[in-house]
Amino acid sequence: MKARYSLVVVGAGPAGMAAARCAAAHGVDVALLDEQERPGGQIYRSVDDSPLSDPSLLGSDYLYGRQHVAEFRNADIDYFPGTTVWNLDRNRDVSVLVDGKSRGLGADRIVIATGAQERPMPVPGWQLPGVMTAGAGQILLKSAAIVPPDDVVLAGSGPLLLLMASQYLKAGVGIQAILDTTPRSNRPGAVRHLIGALESASYLAKGMGLIASIRQSRVPVYKEVTALNAHGDEVLEAVRFNSRGRDHELPTGTLMLHIGVIPQVHLAMAADCEVRWDEAQLCWRPGLDQWLCSTVPGIGIAGDGAGIVGARASQLQGRLAGLQCVYELGALTRDQRDLKAVAIRKTLDKHLAIRPFLDSMYRPSPEFLTPVDDTMVCRCEEVSAGEIREIARLGCQGPNQAKAFSRCGMGPCQGRQCGSTVAALIAEVQGRKISDVGYYRVRPPVKPITLGQMGNS
Amino acid sequence: MDYDIAVIGGGLVGSSIAYGLSKKGHGVALLDEGDRAFRASRGNFGLIWVQGKGWDFPAYAKWTDEAAGLWPAFDAELQESTGVDLGYTRPGGMEFCFDERGWNDLNDCMARVRTNSDGAFEYEMLEHAELRKRIPEVSSAVIGASYSPRDGHVNPLYLLRALHQRLDAGRVDYLPNRHVDSIECLHGGFELRTNDERLAAGRVVLCAGIDNVRLGKLLGLNIPVRPNRGQLLITERVQHFLNYPTLQVRQTREGSLQIGDSQEDAGRDDGTTTEVMNRLASRAVSIFPMLKTVHVVRAWAALRVMTPDGKPVYQQSSHCQGAFGIACHSGVTLAAIHAGPVADWVAGGNPHPLIARFHPDRFDV
Repeated sequence: MKARYSLVVVGAGPAGMAAARCAAAHGVDVALLDEQERPGGQIYRSVDDSPLSDPSLLGSDYLYGRQHVAEFRNADIDYFPGTTVWNLDRNRDVSVLVDGKSRGLGADRIVIATGAQERPMPVPGWQLPGVMTAGAGQILLKSAAIVPPDDVVLAGSGPLLLLMASQYLKAGVGIQAILDTTPRSNRPGAVRHLIGALESASYLAKGMGLIASIRQSRVPVYKEVTALNAHGDEVLEAVRFNSRGRDHELPTGTLMLHIGVIPQVHLAMAADCEVRWDEAQLCWRPGLDQWLCSTVPGIGIAGDGAGIVGARASQLQGRLAGLQCVYELGALTRDQRDLKAVAIRKTLDKHLAIRPFLDSMYRPSPEFLTPVDDTMVCRCEEVSAGEIREIARLGCQGPNQAKAFSRCGMGPCQGRQCGSTVAALIAEVQGRKISDVGYYRVRPPVKPITLGQMGNS
Repeated sequence: MDYDIAVIGGGLVGSSIAYGLSKKGHGVALLDEGDRAFRASRGNFGLIWVQGKGWDFPAYAKWTDEAAGLWPAFDAELQESTGVDLGYTRPGGMEFCFDERGWNDLNDCMARVRTNSDGAFEYEMLEHAELRKRIPEVSSAVIGASYSPRDGHVNPLYLLRALHQRLDAGRVDYLPNRHVDSIECLHGGFELRTNDERLAAGRVVLCAGIDNVRLGKLLGLNIPVRPNRGQLLITERVQHFLNYPTLQVRQTREGSLQIGDSQEDAGRDDGTTTEVMNRLASRAVSIFPMLKTVHVVRAWAALRVMTPDGKPVYQQSSHCQGAFGIACHSGVTLAAIHAGPVADWVAGGNPHPLIARFHPDRFDV
C-alpha cells in the first residue's frame, strides 16, 4: 500500500468496483479498500467462489456479478481486501486497519461506495436470540451455504424479503410462514407510479415472478400484519401478530426480519459530508450534485450509500463517479467526460424508473418507525422507546442530547440500529419534522478497532 | 416581566444555576441552543477534581475545595428528587507520572495547593510500589502518582439529565433551539430577542460558554474566553478494575473507560484528529497494558471554555444592573457551588466572599 493515491475507493460492491475500474481505465492510480476478503460487496458476496453446489438458486441477478468481479480483478487497481476503513476526515486522510495494524493513507480523490445497511425493524422482543435480519440470513446462505431450520418465519416487507423467501424455497427450506407487514394503504400511492415503473419493466416482471413462486410453494402468507412481536423468556419461542384484524401466534425458534435497506452514511458523516432527510425513502442520504460529489471537496459517493438505487444502478453511478474523478484529476476534458456520461445516464434513468414505485409500495409501516414504548430501541445500551419519549418530553432538542441523557447510541454499533428511530420518536413527541430533529454526530472509529491497534502499541 | 431571571445556556453551568434559582422559587427561563451546538458539557470527563487546582491562585484552591465539599449533599438531593443515579463516588483521585521530572513537578504543585488552601487540601505522593498496592494493573511505565482523597467522579451526562429533569418539575421554562440575537438593557430589566420571539426578564445570566464573548458584548461585558479543544476516547465495557478516577483514565460505573485528555488550540473546530487519538490510545496501553485488546467505541472532542488564566470568571455588570457573566471549564466540579452560592448571588443575595476574586479585571493588570 502506497502512502498516497490519486483515488481511493472504499467498498468493493458494484459501485466501488465500477468507479475504480473506470478510473484505472483512464490511467489514474487507484486503490480500492474493502473489508471483505473477496470483491462483490453484499450483493455479489462470494460470487466467484460460492460454497453452494448450485449457486443459480440465488438467481440470475446474482450470477451477473461474476463477470463484473472478473473484470474488476483484471483491471490495474491496487486492491486491498480485508482492509477496514475506520476513519476518514474532510482532508481525505484515510485510516485503515490491515493485518491488525492501523495505518494512514492520503488521497486526492475519494469515492465512498459503502452500500446499504438493513433498515432497523424494532419490534418488542427483537433482541431475543433467534431473531435475526433477513440480510444476515442471506449472507450466511451466500458465503457459507447455511440455511435456517424449517420452522423459520419471515416477517416484514420489500423486494429483498421476497427474494430471500424464494431463494430459501429453492434451497429446500420449509418456511413456516411469511408475515407481510406492507400496509394496504401504500397501494394507491404506489399505483400512481406504476406507469413510470414500466420504464424498468424487467424489475416488475422479476417481482411478479418472485410473488408467483412463493404462491406456488403454498407457504402461508399473512397479509397486512401489525402488532408484530417476538416472544420468549430467554430465547425466541413464538411470534405474535395481527393479520387483517385477527390475532395469531406461531411457535418458532427463528424469526427473520426485514423492512428494506437504507444508505450506510456513517463514513460519509465522519468526513463531515452533509446528509439530508429523504422523505420518499425515509432515510438520511448524502447531499450530492449530479456528478455524485458530496458537500466536502474531493469526496464523491456512489451506489446505495448515496440513496437506495439497486445493484445495476449502483454500478452505473460508480462509473459516473469514476469519470468525475478522472476529469477532476485532469485525465479527461469536461467535454470528454460529458460525452461519456450520456449513455450511462440514459441506462441509469431506466434502472431508476422503478424506484418511486418501490419506495411507495414498500414504505415501512409507522409501527416500525416509531415503535411502542416497550420496544428496545438501542440494543447495545438497552434503551426503550418509552425512555426516549420521556426524554423528548423534557424538551431534549435532538438525538445527540438524547444520547447524552440515556446512552442511546453509545454502544458498539455507533447508533446504526437506533439513529433513525430516536429521531423519529423525538419528532413524534415534539410535533417536529425528522429533518429538523437531525441525526447523531458520527465520530470515529466508524469500525471496531482496539486501543492497541489505534495506538500501534 | 415574563421571568425573574433568564439564564442563557443549557449546559452544566447554566443548568446548575437555573436549578439553584428554581429551588429558591424564582421564575426562571433557561434558553438553550440546538442539538448540534458546541457543548462542552457533552465532552466532560466527569471528574470532580480538586488536586492541582489553584497552585498559583489561592482563591481558586479554596473555591474548588468548597465546591467539591458541597457535592455529597447536592448528589443526594438530585438523586432523591429525580431518581437518576449520577454514579457519584469520592474514592479520591490520582494523576500518574511517568518520569522524575513529572514527579517533582506534581509534588511541588500539590504542596503549593496545600499552602494555598490553608492546609485544607490533603494529598499523598505514591511511589510505584505503593501505587501498585492500590491499582495492581498499573505498568512499570508509571513511576508514581499523586493521590488526593478530595477528588471524586460522576457521570456528567446523567448530571445534566438530572438537572434538566429537575428543572422540568420546578418552575423553570426550558426553551431549547433559541439563539439569542440581542439583549437590551431597559429600566429594571432586559429584553431578549431570539429567532422568533421576545422575552422580558428582570435579570440575565450569561452561561453560554464560548458564545459568552458575543453575548457579553451585547451587555458591555468583556468575558475573555476562548475555545480549547479536548479529545477523549471511550471504550467498550470491561470488568471493573479501576477504583480511582485518574486524570488520564477513568472507568465509568457502566464499565467503559474514558481516556483523556488533550489540550489544543483549534479554534472552533471540534473534530477529532488521528494523531491525538493515536497518542491517547498508546498512552492508555502504556499505563494499563491489558487494555491493548479493548475496543474503542468512539472518540470525542469538545471545546473547553478557557479563560486567560484557566480560572473561572464571575462578573456582574457595573452599568447594566442585573446582568451577570459566568464562564469556566469545570462545570462538573463546580456544579454544587453554582447551584448554591452562585445562584444566590445572581438572584440578588450577598456574594460569597471569594466571588470578587474571580472578576475578569484581574486580566487587565
